[in-house]
Amino acid sequence: MKIVFTAKGTDMNAAMDPRFGRTEYFVIFDEDLKSVESFDNRAIEGEAHGAGPKTAQKLGELGAEVLITGNGPGGNAATVLKTMGTEVYVGAGDMTVTEAYEAYKAGSLKKA
Amino acid sequence: MKEIVVISGKGGTGKTSITASLAYLGGKDLIIADCDVDAADMHLLMAPDFGQSEDFYSGEIAYIDQDACIKCGKCQDVCRFDAIPIINTQYVVDPLGCEGCGYCARVCPTDAISNSQPKVGEVYVSDIRTGSTMVHARLSIGADNSGKLVAKVKNEAKTLAEKENKIAVLVDGSPGVGCPVVSSLSGASFTVLVTEPTVSGLHDLRRVYELVKKFGIKAGCIINKADLNKSVSEEIKSFLKEEEIILLSEIPYNVKFTDAMTNGKTIVEYDKELGNIISESWNKIIRAVWNTGDPK
Repeated sequence: MKIVFTAKGTDMNAAMDPRFGRTEYFVIFDEDLKSVESFDNRAIEGEAHGAGPKTAQKLGELGAEVLITGNGPGGNAATVLKTMGTEVYVGAGDMTVTEAYEAYKAGSLKKA
Repeated sequence: MKEIVVISGKGGTGKTSITASLAYLGGKDLIIADCDVDAADMHLLMAPDFGQSEDFYSGEIAYIDQDACIKCGKCQDVCRFDAIPIINTQYVVDPLGCEGCGYCARVCPTDAISNSQPKVGEVYVSDIRTGSTMVHARLSIGADNSGKLVAKVKNEAKTLAEKENKIAVLVDGSPGVGCPVVSSLSGASFTVLVTEPTVSGLHDLRRVYELVKKFGIKAGCIINKADLNKSVSEEIKSFLKEEEIILLSEIPYNVKFTDAMTNGKTIVEYDKELGNIISESWNKIIRAVWNTGDPK
């Protein structure tokens, strides 16, 4: 299972970025391989409109099955994610990536 | 560090007047971000010094290099926006007409045309009279607000708030339910909805709340001019109850609300009675955001 976190840094100790569309990085945790990768999403700063759908598309390319974030995604991005069948969990904006993963495992994050 | 965003959906509900009052009450503990950049008004009440400014570039616009142009007119033929007039025998781009689609650049036989990002406004970091700092922006005429600009204003404010150990960023959010509002709400810890008891007030409150709900953000509502239409006020209150939105206060219509603004003051400074109601709302917001009466 590939789980993607919106984060302000590149590893499991990074703080979560509560935003979806304009998140700075993705931290990608592969539960099967126990591997951690990251993706630099900062180029999104240059997009005037439509940051959400573009970031959602990126998530599809990364092969994410689960997304954990703060309080996104907005309407358009949510439609893209739903079509791709990505499960979305919110409410992890104030946590670190590790804390967010533990909260997800404990079932305490809200499913969007 | 928290982020409190004030939005209204409908214009004219008193959002900015109320945000300015909250900014006054929070004083030095807050950094203010004015993300209502289409009609930024917070500066009228906060007396910013425009201490630092930075140009803001966004969108796309075509530019014709006159040295490379052979005046074939192909660009003008294909432009769907009639944005390439001939002025003084030269083909030039009308910046208000150009949509930046890039068709002209594609057909130009000498590659004389390229797209660039125009300057569409300025972002400021100002000292304000509450003893704190405000991040705000001014857009050029015809330029549109965007998620990009809102994200920039908020990011500057958040960085400052973290550096200076403030308790929160207070955001005067963008109007409507489009891209700038999505960007205003993204990352928020609490939303203050300002509404009025009119049919459109309630309608736009429902619409904008759909967005807040999608983001899973806790919300409170201030009903301004609550006594002007009691039946719609009741409808608003039952909507709030249904959606578990905190009723922060009901402010009666009072001409002093506008008097304060014309005198360049916030309501809490200008009128005791109205001021008390807003102070009470601020205390409720603090309790909802920090689960305590004293966030420091």
